[in-house]
Formats: sequence, structure tokens, C-alpha cells
Amino acid sequence: MPCPVPVPGGLSADWRYVFENACYLGDGLAVTLALTAASLVVGFAAGLPAGVAEVYGRQSDSAPVRWVGRAVRNAGVVLRGTPIVVIIMLAYFSFGISPAFLAATAALGFRSAAYQTQIFRGAIESVGAGQMEAARSVGMSKYQSIRHVVLPQALRRSVPGFQNEVTIVLKDTSIAFAIGLAELLTKSYDLFQSVGHTTAIFELILVVSAAYFVLTFAANRSLEALNEAVSVPGGERG
Amino acid sequence: MSSESPSDPPLLRVEDLYKRYGDEEVLNGVSFDMDAQDVQVLVGPSGSGKSTLLRCVNRLTEFEGGRIALDGTPTDEMDENDLRRQVGMVFQDFNLFAHLTAKRNVMLGLRRVRGHSKEEAEARALEELEQVGLGDQADSYPAELSGGQQQRVGIARALAMDPKLMLFDEPTSALDPELIGEVLGVMRDLADQGMTMLCVTHEMGFARQVATDIMFLEGGHLVEHGPPEQLFENPRHERTAQFLDRLTSLHGGDHG
Repeated sequence: MPCPVPVPGGLSADWRYVFENACYLGDGLAVTLALTAASLVVGFAAGLPAGVAEVYGRQSDSAPVRWVGRAVRNAGVVLRGTPIVVIIMLAYFSFGISPAFLAATAALGFRSAAYQTQIFRGAIESVGAGQMEAARSVGMSKYQSIRHVVLPQALRRSVPGFQNEVTIVLKDTSIAFAIGLAELLTKSYDLFQSVGHTTAIFELILVVSAAYFVLTFAANRSLEALNEAVSVPGGERG
Repeated sequence: MSSESPSDPPLLRVEDLYKRYGDEEVLNGVSFDMDAQDVQVLVGPSGSGKSTLLRCVNRLTEFEGGRIALDGTPTDEMDENDLRRQVGMVFQDFNLFAHLTAKRNVMLGLRRVRGHSKEEAEARALEELEQVGLGDQADSYPAELSGGQQQRVGIARALAMDPKLMLFDEPTSALDPELIGEVLGVMRDLADQGMTMLCVTHEMGFARQVATDIMFLEGGHLVEHGPPEQLFENPRHERTAQFLDRLTSLHGGDHG
């Protein structure tokens, strides 16, 4: 299928090269977006329960639950203390996760989970102890109280922190360059490494940077809108 | 028919209750009974263990020694959630669920603990809000309500569980003076309807008029326990007289 993006006239050769390959870059952009979404989903799915486990694990009467809480905390410390390039290389080359997209999703996803855990932990801890006591006082179990009283408030409070995490994951998908995954940065690299086009490096990097900027900007605006939409009328004083 | 017990057990029996926080002894052998429909007011200086005592009754706080029985059943043999379903609690800081409207605050326990359908729970919640004079605020969020209104929602939330006993932990202490009356009014109505109530409060007007008994707690000891006339007119202990005098001059006003 021919690329529908027209090439404007009067451009320098390097800029023309960028436009001629718009769809090639567009494919990379699609991979970047898919990788961002998949990593955030993995990070959320693992990070939210991990945040709950960190907060409530240590107070639990049950030894296995305390053990889970401790394990989660230690896993988080290791993940947050390891460079993302190292994690992604471990996932792909060492653990042999394949294809590369899956390895990148695992690496970025679990690293994000480690950070999201801290976002949710902080948000949960910011919900006043009185909320849990009030919920327990009507006879709700601890699980019900967390699920129906603490988490709905904590999730609202975690939107600003999550906003930050989204932009970090989005930009860090470029790390998948290290394992050759055909995301946006890798695609642009391929283009300016082709024979006869090395002079287009500046134009290509500029376009790639602009794409990341527009995406993070749009993500931030969307999450600000989400924050508005879920905020409790009159504010919260839990 | 062989042996029938001579009398029903008291609704609440607190027997030789001991509670310690680290080295600090908060409750030192407190004992008392409450019959159904009693309104007992617990007074005492700050740190005397009043709130701790209330929290031991619904096991928000565990205690080291003694026994508490509800309707003859020791509370430590009951499922804690079942116990709390039967014992309502009203907090000094209201503790309304901040993300839910007044109506949904009342509905949550009905739905999750009592298993009501959404329609049943909603109808019951509106009824309870009506009771405390807030039928028209059902869809307001806590932050949109005054302190007095929030506390009345807190009372409605507890009442919706059909408790046998209501615990009030300084329900008016966080309120502006002009809002105290509406909360005391609701508590007075409740007492008139026969609710059994254990109240920590410094509102001496309420205590004099509504309480069946007043308990004076100091240093974890129940110093004196008796009907309001006795404690106000003829206290057996000098400390009781001093303390009640001071409270009356500070909080003697009849807000209700």
C-alpha cells in the first residue's frame, strides 16, 4: 500500500527524505503507542495490588500476607534500582523473552509496576485512618473496606502521580532501541543510517522529538481532564 | 422446663476491662452494665480512657484483660464484623466516606454488609436521612455539608444497620457551637425512641436531661457511676463534683 502522506514541494533533500518515509516512521509510532499502552496496563495490573500489599501487608496478622508484602517491597527496590536498559536487555537476551515487543513490554511493564506501586502506596496512605475505621464500624470486612472506601479515594488521588508515570513510560519506550524493536526511535535510526542519508539525522531526530512531545502533551492534557472528571464535588476531606 | 434464667442478661456487660498502650495503663478494671434503652453518658478528663472504652466495645481496639458481652454473648466469641454490624459508632470527626454522597454513605453498609438490593438500600437510606432531617441533602457530598449535617449523616449511616447499641465518641466536639444543637436534637430523638446509647460527651445539658446514668472515668478507673441527679447533686467523690462543675460551666448550655 502506497503511503498517503504527500511530500510538499520546495524542501531540502533531507526533509524530503523524512516525508517520503513518513509511513515508515508512522509504523514505529504505532509500535511506540502500543508498547506504552501495554506497559502501563502491566504496570497498573501489577502495581495496584502491589501498592495495596505494601500498605496492608505489614499490618497483617497473617504471616503469609506479611511475607507477600515484604516480597513485593523487595522486588520494587530491585526494579527501581536497576537501569531500564539493563532490565530490557536481561528480558530479551538473558531470559530470552521473544518477540522483542513482549520482552520490552515485560521490562517496561514491571519497571512501571515498581513505580506505580509507590504512587498507589502513597495515595492509599494519604486516605485518613478514620475512613477505614468508619467502614469497619458498619461491619464491612477489611477487604470490603479497602475495595469500596479506601481505593476509590486513593485512585482519585493517584491520577497526578500516574500522569507523571505515563509520560515517563511513553518516552522510555525508546529504550527498546537497545534490543532492536522497531519503535519510533529505531525506525528513525534505520533511516539516517541508510547509505546516502546520514545527513538527515538532525531532521529525523527533530521529527521524532516532536512526536514524543506531542504525545506527552496530549497524555497530560487527557489525564488532567480525567482528574477533573473524577474529582469529588466540594473536594475531599477524608 | 428446668432452669430458666431469672433475668435476661444486660444488653451490654463490661467486666473488669484492662487496656494498656505500651507502659501506659489506659483502662484499669472498668466494669458496668447497660440495659436496653439505657442512655449512659461517659465523662472524664482528656486521656481518661473514654474513647478507648468505646472502641473496646466494638473491637476497633483490642484489650488485654476483662470481658465484654453483648446480649450475653462475649464479644471475643463473635465474628468482629457481625459485632460491629450490631453496634453503631459515631465519630468525633464524622468520618463520612468522602467520595460518596450522603445517600451512598448510608447505602454502602446496607449493600455490602446486609446484602440489600440497590433499590432496598436506597429506600432505607432515604428513610434514615429523613429521620435526621436531611432528606433534601441525599445527593450532597460530605464536603458540601456543614459539620452538623455531616454528623447527622454519620448517625443515619450507623442507624441503617439496625444496631442494638449506639456508641457516640464526642459527637459534637468538632462542631461550631451553633451546630451542636441539631446533632444533640437527633440524639435526643433517638433516646426517646428507645435506642440504647453509650455516649462520650461533655454536653452537660444533654447528660442531665437524657442520660439514665452518668459515668465519671478518670485515670482508667470508673470513679463514680449513677443517675444524673446523684452525680450532679450528691456526688460521692469530691473529684466528681469538681469535674462536673467545671464541665457545666463550660458546656452546660442547653443546645438541644
